[in-house]
Amino acid sequence: MEQQPVIQIKNLTKIYRDFWGRKKVRALNSLSLEVHKGEVFGLLGPNGSGKTTTMKLLLGLLFPTEGEINILGKTASDVSKNERIGYLPEESYLYRFLNAEETLDFYGRLFDMSPQQRKERANQLIEMVGLQNARKRQLKEYSKGMTRRIGLAQALINDPDLILLDEPTSGLDPLGSRDMKDLIVKLRDQGKTIVMCSHLLADVQDVCDRIAILYAGELKELGRVEDLLKEQQQTELLTSKLSPEAVADVEQVLAKHNAKLLRHGHPTNSLEDLFLKTVQKSQERPGQRYVPAGSEKS
Amino acid sequence: MTFDRDPFSFIDGFQHWLKVFGSFAGGIFAITVLLALGVFGAAGPVAVINRVFAGLNDFLNLSPRRIWAIALLTIKEAVRRKALLVFVVFAFLMMFAGWFLESNLRADLQVKNAVSFALTTVSWLTIPVLLLLSCWGIPEDIRLRSMHTVVTKPVRRNEIVMGRILGFSTVAALIVVIMGVVGYVWIRRQVSGADLICRVPVYGTLKFLDREGNPTDKGVNTGDIWEFRSYVEGGTKSAALYDFPVGQIRDRIKIESRFEAFRTHKGRMGESLQVRYVLVNPTKQLRVPLKSFEVAEFALNEHLLENEVKYFDEGKQETRTVNLLTDLVDDNRLRIEVQCLDSGQYLGMARPDMFLRLPDRSFLVGYFKAVLGVWLLTVFVVSVGVMASTFVKGPVAALLTFTILIVGQAFREFMIKLVTGEQKGGGPLESWYRLITHKNDSTELEKATSTAIMQGIDEVMLSVLGVVQYLIPDLSSFMMSPYVANGFDVPWSVALARSLAMTVGYVIPCVLIGYYSLTLRELESK
Amino acid sequence: MIEQLTTQQRKVAYLIGIVILMVPVIWLGMPSSDASTGGKLAGLRQQYELGEATLGKVDPTSATMNLVLLGMRGVAVNLLRMELDEQKDRKQWAQMRATTESVILLQPHYIQVWRYLGWNLAYNVSAEWDAVEDRYFWVKEGAKFLMQGTKRNVKHPEVYWETGRTVGQKIGRADEWKHFRKYFKYEDPDKERFGGGPDNEINPEGIDNYLAARVWYQKANEAEEKHVQHIMMRALFRSYPARSSLDYAEALQKEGQFDDQTRQAWAVAFDDWVNNFGKMEFADDYGAEHFQIRMEAYDSDVQEIAKQFGVDPKLIRKSIDFHQDVTNYRFWRIRAHSEMQEQTVDVHRNLYDGEQRMRKGSADDIDQAEIMLVKGLNGYAELIKKYPDIGSDDNAIEECLWAILLWQKIFQLKNGVQPDADRFPFPLREIWEKEQNRIPNLQQDFNRKYGPS
Repeated sequence: MEQQPVIQIKNLTKIYRDFWGRKKVRALNSLSLEVHKGEVFGLLGPNGSGKTTTMKLLLGLLFPTEGEINILGKTASDVSKNERIGYLPEESYLYRFLNAEETLDFYGRLFDMSPQQRKERANQLIEMVGLQNARKRQLKEYSKGMTRRIGLAQALINDPDLILLDEPTSGLDPLGSRDMKDLIVKLRDQGKTIVMCSHLLADVQDVCDRIAILYAGELKELGRVEDLLKEQQQTELLTSKLSPEAVADVEQVLAKHNAKLLRHGHPTNSLEDLFLKTVQKSQERPGQRYVPAGSEKS
Repeated sequence: MTFDRDPFSFIDGFQHWLKVFGSFAGGIFAITVLLALGVFGAAGPVAVINRVFAGLNDFLNLSPRRIWAIALLTIKEAVRRKALLVFVVFAFLMMFAGWFLESNLRADLQVKNAVSFALTTVSWLTIPVLLLLSCWGIPEDIRLRSMHTVVTKPVRRNEIVMGRILGFSTVAALIVVIMGVVGYVWIRRQVSGADLICRVPVYGTLKFLDREGNPTDKGVNTGDIWEFRSYVEGGTKSAALYDFPVGQIRDRIKIESRFEAFRTHKGRMGESLQVRYVLVNPTKQLRVPLKSFEVAEFALNEHLLENEVKYFDEGKQETRTVNLLTDLVDDNRLRIEVQCLDSGQYLGMARPDMFLRLPDRSFLVGYFKAVLGVWLLTVFVVSVGVMASTFVKGPVAALLTFTILIVGQAFREFMIKLVTGEQKGGGPLESWYRLITHKNDSTELEKATSTAIMQGIDEVMLSVLGVVQYLIPDLSSFMMSPYVANGFDVPWSVALARSLAMTVGYVIPCVLIGYYSLTLRELESK
Repeated sequence: MIEQLTTQQRKVAYLIGIVILMVPVIWLGMPSSDASTGGKLAGLRQQYELGEATLGKVDPTSATMNLVLLGMRGVAVNLLRMELDEQKDRKQWAQMRATTESVILLQPHYIQVWRYLGWNLAYNVSAEWDAVEDRYFWVKEGAKFLMQGTKRNVKHPEVYWETGRTVGQKIGRADEWKHFRKYFKYEDPDKERFGGGPDNEINPEGIDNYLAARVWYQKANEAEEKHVQHIMMRALFRSYPARSSLDYAEALQKEGQFDDQTRQAWAVAFDDWVNNFGKMEFADDYGAEHFQIRMEAYDSDVQEIAKQFGVDPKLIRKSIDFHQDVTNYRFWRIRAHSEMQEQTVDVHRNLYDGEQRMRKGSADDIDQAEIMLVKGLNGYAELIKKYPDIGSDDNAIEECLWAILLWQKIFQLKNGVQPDADRFPFPLREIWEKEQNRIPNLQQDFNRKYGPS
């Protein structure tokens, strides 16, 4: 690898404790992964699998029980890393008594931005997320989708190099979802690194270059989306609807070539397949996890 | 009204602060290092020291811009949370204040009541509102996770704490100034402007002569519980010696005094005790007795000394004239001996009971100094509130701050009595036991294991209190309204400087504690 | 079951529950109107006189304060009382007055609070001041405070009585009584406010303090007919208006007024004592026997009362004697009766004028003074013969002894020696000899006034 990864996580473990210091939940178990510059990296997993925990650990909102985090060449607890990071939380936790302009101005002030810059940037972002008509309204009057948009605008206020998006499309209608995904791709094209977590498989499949599948705090799969979905021993055919006779004919043809029709029916989302398979496997054989090459020594 | 405080010295105050702050900081550091060593081994102390350095770094990289951003947010939050509704309450109170105040009192008592009422209302409205706001700000931020979007920006946690304190203090300033102005207008409508006075007193030192004429530090106690005033016996050589720094006075000197009379027999009923001032120049052995006067009690006796003082010299049996500033002022000090002329009767005084009166200031000045006092107290409350809210939730923080406020204002003396064992009746458990069993505080408790355990626990609790008492300030100096209400200027050194120093002295540790507790905790509401 | 309901259904169920619970509340708490007694609670409130309005004037501030404090009134009052003590120790009288007002805002119907705080102002605070005018101001403050208390508690006799005591005894019997009485009746020291007249808040009609006190005691008696008082024995309590009349007459005398007005005052007092107080009925019991007596009762009356209640007449007599002793009834009847007489007034006037004459000091004045004193003393001797009980009254004895001291002084001035009682007999010598133990104290006072002999 020619370049230092943007994010490097080694053996990251997070155990939540209760008030008395007793272990309560092992939210993350020895997670190791890297995110490279310019890619869209997806964290995938069912609820409670540790996606958000990972993200919060990266941001320094939570402290790791064990393991190391290197983010933009700094530790997670170093505040100065935030200069180049944008973060969109799971739900947009913003100040509900501010309006869109005030919100962006406030967050802008937290960076080294002149009033002029703040204003320009705010206008630009409001336009980008399509809130021109609601810029003077207090956020408490916003719908969920609008809150999401202003949340995104807030995350981009500093033109960050690394963008962390927690469930970016949640609460958005299909159209909004589409816009969000387009934006993510656009940001990647601008050379930014994006880490997003989601339980919506379609999002991940559409925009992510690489994904990690987490289950119960453990990394189950990691790799390029195409690679993970490519089943080497199978060929997929997609046809228009076939009558039973046609199916029988096809079977005959296949038999002639020493092959077998494994399954037929309506096509399913392949990532969903993978995901469900992974989850199922994890439930059958708990404890098995994906270990990336090279990290076995540690 | 008492003016029994000594002037405040910044150097002494700072030294005391350093001592307390240093010992607490050192103690906490030592305990943390030891704990870390115990739990994590050798790596522990290193981590602690690293953390301290990181903190130092955070303080060196403070950004006023970010602090102001948080402050601005805080102000907006306070305004949008309808904190300013407090003005409605204020207006309401002021409208109906007449109900509470007696209107047919002596003019000075009316001024006293009106001014006290206005200033008390301002502080009673401002402080609770700001207390609640400051205690709920950060916990709400954490609970609603809006804090997440802030700390993921390059904001240092000390900036959050400082921004919060600054923001709430600004809101307080806004409220206090507006209420202060309204209060002033209200006072002006309640009492006539001529009654609103702002004296600027110069206090001296006080020594006594006993009945044989020997110098003593204290006069006679006539049985008052309050040992503020000390008495001189009439018709003897007993006298009170006041030494005033004359300072810049280059012209006539105005003297004001308030003495208290104590009679051992009815004496001449219908006449008050006779008091005489004797101006003394000890170097020149010059004694100039002035005309005696009847003491006006709990009110001011006013005298004006002209430059030329005429008096009757009893030794030479002739009337003589001396110059006040050249003959009587000795080494820039004027000594006045106060005597009571009625034998068997006593005259009581304390150091602040007599003063030279400089030209008055405008009442407005004194009044707004007192308003400033209210603001400083609010800043203190806000700092403590913000600090507490970084490690406990809103209600607990509010309770804690409220307790410190109340104890600091009203129960400090009681607390010190408890700690020093001056207070009878034992610690919490023992006093409960006494209450329940109807044993008064002078009854011996029976010797039993149970009482021994009880007293043992009390002992521990009181020694904890002994440490805590250093942390709880004496907030009475913030209360400047008595000065103004009694027609005095608020003295810089005794009241303002002390309050200012105290506020700063508390803001610093509050910021530190707030910073560390915000940094060391995970910002997840659980 | 509840879990199976939808939210909508549950809300309706709660609503019905609330309404059902409201019914008894409404039924119990319905306010009374002219037409009906209202709900159960209103009825009870009326029966036990618990409503604010039934107790006296309602102060909206006070009611609001108590409402705002919810259940914390006790705590608030405790704090205020502590503050009050502190302010008293620190002699912050103005603040203390204000705190007193706040306490009363919170406890407007606590009789003991009114009594204690009023007494505190009139007696304790006033004593802390040196100037008589200031003392008087605080006595007035106490009295005014108590007057305010009577308005808020119209049904309770105690506060009326306490007001009477402050206006009567505190003003009339304090060491400064001469000044106080003058201030009260003619000229308040605060001339600026009262224009040289009496304080119209406390004495709008400009009457004597004892007459003013009588009005308050009378009100106390009226209230006492419906509400039991807990200050003292009933007979004593009810004697106060008449006692005030007696005090008034006595005070005029003490101030050296010996004219028809004084005599008239005694006559009124006598009538008040005998015909008002003397005819009041007081319940008494002895074992299972219950009966009612009055002070003024001849043997025939006693018999009648005994018959009426079916009790042994001896028991009635004993009870009357007891009540008379407690209230000093017989003495006052005789005293008033004797003071009503022209002759008695002459005696007092002679003694008083004699002293005044002597103080002028010329030889002629002293001769005249001697004549007046001897005349007065002789008159006193006759008076005591006529009303023997007078001879055991402290005031009378001291008045006689004082006159004898004056006479001795004159004798000494004229002859240069102390009179020998055997060679120069003086009237009332038997009293002089019987009351020897009182003489040293009197002599001391006398010497302070006239110099040692």
